[in-house]
Amino acid sequence: MTSGPCRVSEEQVLAFVTGDMDQNASLALAEHLGECRGCRDQATEYTSLLGGLQSCSAEEAVHWHRFETPFGMMNVAATGTGLSRLSWRQADPEAFVHHLGSLYPDRPAIHDAEGLAQTERQLHEYFAGERSRFELPVDLTRLSGFEREVLECVRTIPFGDVVPYSEVARRIGSPKAARAVGNALNHNPVAIVVPCHRVVRADGSLGGYGGGVRYKRRLLSLEGTPALFSD
Amino acid sequence: MSKASSALGYAPPDRVEKWVGRYGPELRRHLGRMTNNADDAEDILQQVWISAVEKPPDDGPGSNVRAWLYRVATNAALDSLARKRFRRQALQGVDPGATASNLEPPDAGFSGLDEETRARVREQCAKLPTKQREAVWLRWAEGLDYPTIAQRLGSSTESARANVHHGMKKLRESLLDIWEEEVER
Repeated sequence: MTSGPCRVSEEQVLAFVTGDMDQNASLALAEHLGECRGCRDQATEYTSLLGGLQSCSAEEAVHWHRFETPFGMMNVAATGTGLSRLSWRQADPEAFVHHLGSLYPDRPAIHDAEGLAQTERQLHEYFAGERSRFELPVDLTRLSGFEREVLECVRTIPFGDVVPYSEVARRIGSPKAARAVGNALNHNPVAIVVPCHRVVRADGSLGGYGGGVRYKRRLLSLEGTPALFSD
Repeated sequence: MSKASSALGYAPPDRVEKWVGRYGPELRRHLGRMTNNADDAEDILQQVWISAVEKPPDDGPGSNVRAWLYRVATNAALDSLARKRFRRQALQGVDPGATASNLEPPDAGFSGLDEETRARVREQCAKLPTKQREAVWLRWAEGLDYPTIAQRLGSSTESARANVHHGMKKLRESLLDIWEEEVER
């Protein structure tokens, strides 16, 4: 067909495919695509890419947000299933987003204050002493079956109450697994919302806390749990 | 008269017939060049007329029906080329008794990409620099327009568009191996 170097840029081909081109330019480009094999192949690739992207849904991303709390900046992230990450010890947002990238290699991390507004509001209410339970779906799908079972059980411990590790182990039907329960709690990706801070040692001492024991103490005192705990 | 039929959302048949007469031959040639296949060209041309009836272009003063028709026809041809390329690929390494028709899911997506390829698209998208990643995703996966994306990114509309384009260029490059398996035509 035509020969010689093609004067049309990749940018123009892309703008045609994405519809970001005015009518006259797009007519000229359409005609050119009939004549230039190279541009046509490029346009075909962009059409596939566009189709692939359009076939993705918002739920396939991981949406994140961060906001100020009494514990410092709170980083939260959610998949289409629910809240999947909550942490307050990552200083800068870049580190948090990078972390999300390693957790979810095939979920683009998207900042979304609006999508996580409920989470933010409920956490503010909790810290202000105006909320005793969270009404948020959580995504625990990255955990093992045992870990999930432990966390589901812990979700039922009411505000203001505490339960020993051994009691959680008994409740899930593995009475000898108190230590494993402690490990599972240590993997809780959504602390506070799944209240692993309400699990303590049988002798009344606090036990460990992934987020730092001083935060465990603060959370329990916020909940008005009798302060009989020493380390 | 024409106002009333526009309100119904359909173009009156005589108007479409006029377009068929005036632009049909050149569109057929254009589609033949695009697809290199007369049957495909004919199928796509029929789709174009259906679109022209169902979602008629504005044909008032200053409008350009020819440009509209070329745009719709060219997009449909590109879509058909994209599907063919991926169907061939999907056929490789599959049970030789399988045919294209029984491999294709009943409502194959716009691009015909399989789940594994879609996951790769998301994976590469996840690796883009923040602004490009968010702009590309918000534009196509969430279907937001440029002004809304600009608001989300705290940027200008122009820069939202530029981020979408830059991101897509990088994606095409990082996914080159998908396109390269093209079979000689």
